[in-house]
Amino acid sequence: MLRVRDVTVRFGGIVALDGVSLDLNRGEILGLIGPNGAGKTTLFNCISGVIRPDQGSMFFEGRSLKFAPPHERARRGIARTFQNLQLWGSMTVQENLTVPMDALGGRNTFSDALHLPFSTYAERASSERARAILHVLELDDYARTLAGDLPAGIQRRVEIARALAGRPQLLLLDEPAAGLDARETGHLAELLHTVRERFHVSMLLVDHDMSLVLPVSDYVYVLDFGKVLAKGRPSAIQNDPKVIAAYLGDESSKESNKSRDVVAMPRRKDEAPLLEVKQLAAGYGHLEVIRDVNLAVRPGEVVACIGANGAGKTTTLRAISGMIRPRSGTVTFDGRDITGKTAEHISRQGLIHIPEGRGLFPNLSVEDTLRLVSNSIGKEPDLATAYRLFPKLKERRHQAVGTLSGGEQQMVALARAVLARPQLVMVDEMSQGLAPTVVRQLFDIIRMMRDEGIAVLIVEQFVDSALEVADRAYVFEHGTIGHSGSAAELRADRKLISGSYLGSAVDVVAASNGNGHHADPALMEVVSVKLPAKLKRTLEERAEREGRPTGAVVMELLEGVKRV
Amino acid sequence: MATFAAYTIIGLSVGGVYALAALGIVLIYRTTGVLNFAHGAMGMFSTFVAWQIFYGMAHPYWPQWLATAIAIIAGLVFAALLGLFLDLAVFRWVRTRPPVVKAVITIGILLTLQATASLIWKNNQYHLSIYVLPKDWVANIADVPVGANSIAIIVVALGLAFGLAAYLRYTAFGRSMRAVSDSPTAASLWAVPVGRVSAVSWMLGSLIAAVAGILITPFINFDTTSLTLLIVDALAAALIGGMVSLPLTVLGGFILGLLETYPTIWIQSLGFPRLVALVVILAVLIVRNPRGLTAVSR
Amino acid sequence: MTWSSRLTVRVLLALLAFAVLARLPAGLDIGFQFDAELAVVWGFGILSLVLLTGYVGQVSLCQATFAGVGAYAAGMMVSTYHVSYLIAVAVAVLAAFALGVVVGLPALRLSGITLAIVTLGIALVFDRYVFQDAAFAWFTGGSGGWRVDGARMFGVQMDSSKHLLAAYVLLVGLFCLVALLMVNLHDSGAGRRFRAIRDSELAASTMGVNLTRYKLLAFGMSAAIAGLGGSFYPLVAGSVSPQPFWLFTSLQLAAIAVLMGVRYVPAAALGGVFMAFVPDVLTRFGHGNVGRYSYDISFDWFQIAVGVLLIIQLILMPDGVWGDLRGRIAHAAAHAKSAARAVAKGRVRVA
Repeated sequence: MLRVRDVTVRFGGIVALDGVSLDLNRGEILGLIGPNGAGKTTLFNCISGVIRPDQGSMFFEGRSLKFAPPHERARRGIARTFQNLQLWGSMTVQENLTVPMDALGGRNTFSDALHLPFSTYAERASSERARAILHVLELDDYARTLAGDLPAGIQRRVEIARALAGRPQLLLLDEPAAGLDARETGHLAELLHTVRERFHVSMLLVDHDMSLVLPVSDYVYVLDFGKVLAKGRPSAIQNDPKVIAAYLGDESSKESNKSRDVVAMPRRKDEAPLLEVKQLAAGYGHLEVIRDVNLAVRPGEVVACIGANGAGKTTTLRAISGMIRPRSGTVTFDGRDITGKTAEHISRQGLIHIPEGRGLFPNLSVEDTLRLVSNSIGKEPDLATAYRLFPKLKERRHQAVGTLSGGEQQMVALARAVLARPQLVMVDEMSQGLAPTVVRQLFDIIRMMRDEGIAVLIVEQFVDSALEVADRAYVFEHGTIGHSGSAAELRADRKLISGSYLGSAVDVVAASNGNGHHADPALMEVVSVKLPAKLKRTLEERAEREGRPTGAVVMELLEGVKRV
Repeated sequence: MATFAAYTIIGLSVGGVYALAALGIVLIYRTTGVLNFAHGAMGMFSTFVAWQIFYGMAHPYWPQWLATAIAIIAGLVFAALLGLFLDLAVFRWVRTRPPVVKAVITIGILLTLQATASLIWKNNQYHLSIYVLPKDWVANIADVPVGANSIAIIVVALGLAFGLAAYLRYTAFGRSMRAVSDSPTAASLWAVPVGRVSAVSWMLGSLIAAVAGILITPFINFDTTSLTLLIVDALAAALIGGMVSLPLTVLGGFILGLLETYPTIWIQSLGFPRLVALVVILAVLIVRNPRGLTAVSR
Repeated sequence: MTWSSRLTVRVLLALLAFAVLARLPAGLDIGFQFDAELAVVWGFGILSLVLLTGYVGQVSLCQATFAGVGAYAAGMMVSTYHVSYLIAVAVAVLAAFALGVVVGLPALRLSGITLAIVTLGIALVFDRYVFQDAAFAWFTGGSGGWRVDGARMFGVQMDSSKHLLAAYVLLVGLFCLVALLMVNLHDSGAGRRFRAIRDSELAASTMGVNLTRYKLLAFGMSAAIAGLGGSFYPLVAGSVSPQPFWLFTSLQLAAIAVLMGVRYVPAAALGGVFMAFVPDVLTRFGHGNVGRYSYDISFDWFQIAVGVLLIIQLILMPDGVWGDLRGRIAHAAAHAKSAARAVAKGRVRVA
């Protein structure tokens, strides 16, 4: 149904998608997973027509999608939801649904304004259909509520309902579980199955939450750095070493670094915490992202925050550093209450936050950026120290930060942390989008900072590396802290960690048995050119295993059936 | 071809006016993210203050040059205070709002300043006798008499452009200003005093508007509306410069001046140059947005 | 309330408004009667902004220009071609519509501030060039503008001083009609598509709304509405000149529209009245003596007030006077309803 071939998208110097090819068959739910920045939303934007790819082609139902503007693609049957919720907030839920219905059904503006009989009739038909869709998605109660007034979980469902309103053949779901807790996510998974049954729609699903993607999908593609890293059945993907490495960090380095821990300096466990967070709750607009978060960081400690995306790690850091105002709870730093203070103030107290995306200034040169540290310490910083630690930065000191590679940018951020002589540094997703070797270098810097007496709070996707360098860790789950303990304890509990990231294999199998879409090639009775998706996949895999073309396998099976 | 050179000179003089007017707009936009529709009005008001002081100091008691100097200084001081006031009273509270809202606020400021000026100084045409350089100093370039004040405009425009660019590049505060314009949130995480930077940005912008006003008014009608309306041409020049680079903005001003002057070789029309300006704005804007409608930024 | 009953209510309200407004200036002197007509002309201008900015979310700072085009077109049709005034109005509206579509073309690529700058540029071009240059004298009637003494409508000679009231009634009737159509449009399918563009263009286009078609339509319709109001200006004032339609009027229209609430039709009526009456009232009653001091409140004070109010309002109440009022009433009603429901259910939901 959907064929994507060699799509490449470049934004300035960054390659967002690199020769991505993808196939989606009718009736399938295709899952698309990958670490942050892997290019998933960009791919969606290409398919829905918002961005034009620099290279490559896309075919939907046999027709090329080139030159088709977004509304034309909607007309052909492609609908989507948005990661950051693009509902029409000033209209009711029902109105949100009728817009695509009308737009794709052809209505006349003048007859609308004059309320000619045709318009009134069409209106009634639209509202009835809308209500039917709302019923399937259990949104009946909200039909007349303004979309902007709804809580996030409901809004996500409304987006799906709206996308279905236009009778699409293909539904693109962009992070539908973002901001949902465990219960709501489970509910969503069931909902997606229902949607497929009732609306006969194929889906392309992108999300970070494995507990949603793996049980729901028939087939999964894994993206990393804009390339397709792996593809296969959910169970296969879960155990694929390449995928595990991309998500959990480099396994191979584990061995060599084990010895380091023994040499670590003993920490005084009873020292008063430098940073103390109690019952913190915060969010954005209507979304409450974190609730009842409690953590502490002692002087000279390295503490890690790990957990799946959307679990609330970044929001917690932002609430601590003053980027967003906490809704409730307290934050105490160095004995002083800093809850709700401005970021400037907190930064000057000696608590530095390096946010996701590094919080740098794209148009400033490296040296100019480092010189900004004078705002924190009140005098010109000693740039020589920074350059000694990061010789690469010295080479590029007049280059604009925006043009540096990800690793170099991270070095700038860390260099600032060193120069400003803080008491605590919070680093969010330091290794995002970086190659493992660079990541290792950066983690060495963290160790060095710890040795200098600076406490570090890191948020990481790469669990292994994080646990190696950390003394303690907190595991975030769905907006609050699930587990915590010393790094050693958590490292031993591998199942715990992969469980919360990739979902357990047991869950996947159980879920797929309940799908009802069994593919049993031996029982194939009807010969038709259009094969059910699952069947096709099975045949393709078998063909690959046996090293033969798929057609040959099919013919062989047909021969077998005929003879019977 | 002598005519051509003459037109070029005229075009450059006109362009200098635009360049000077556009500089302040780009500076404010770069440092505060606000497109200041009231820029001309601010300059106009400060210029009137200077003029009022100048007139108030009856000559021949005071020597001409001293009166001029005091008037100009008074005008600049007022401009700085005006900028500070606007930042504290208005823009401080809307830092997080979308740019459109902030721009509409400047329209409100424009209306207010305009009407206040009209209230004080009525709708009369005045003759501004503040000449920074003596009126009768004239140079002859390519057989065209060019007033010293015209040259002054070009010199000041270039000087300010490069001076400000250098200030932004090489001084600590200039760095802070650039940081705030790149990302106010990141800047506050770096302990940059965002409030202070914003106030200084507005004061500086207002000062430049005043400088532009004082230098330009001898060449246009001196009333409460002409300078305000210069905003459109200034915007055109700023857009040519991409709203980013100060030296490019000055270049944009010159280009616009030339574009508006050359057609008059063939077509004698008062309004036609305005059409040129508009077409240029449109062309520049559309060429710069190749991705079209819903261009998504990462 | 069902669809058709809501429609009936609206029609009744429109008729009622018409009846009231039509009678209103009967007792006033001629100066205020003139103001009343002007109020409707500017009311159309603000109404056009309600459609373009309030419903569709597109910024435009040249609405007075569209009105001016309507005025000049009507004047030209009457003075040069001696047609009935109604035909002149029709032509004027079409001309304005066409110009609106042309202006809308840049809007397909631009939005927000850049669009504002472009419309500003257009307003200035028309101010300085089209409305004043000799090349367009066929359209503008030269530096003197058109005089429409000989205007005929329904076979009756319309002379601005004698039939002032009749012209006013016609204007108010048209205003109520257009207002009614707009309110209906708001709730209709097309209106929803417009609002979808305003709330999220991205979602609108990927959900099947043809952005090109609807944006151009919005600009055209908006210009036509402004042009409709402007086309009656020659009848009201007796002549056309560029001054009433210059840039500052466009800015004032935008400012007052935002002040009153750019998303609501009644705001247009309020705004029109505000724009036309307040300056005149100030001129007439705005000077006198209090004790030893004599004061003189002129038009400038009006503009200052508009500017300051606009700034304050944008900082505090983004929805405008009418919008804010409406919002408060709605909020209070909603609170009352949900409180009643909670009491009825006998339990309170834990947050």
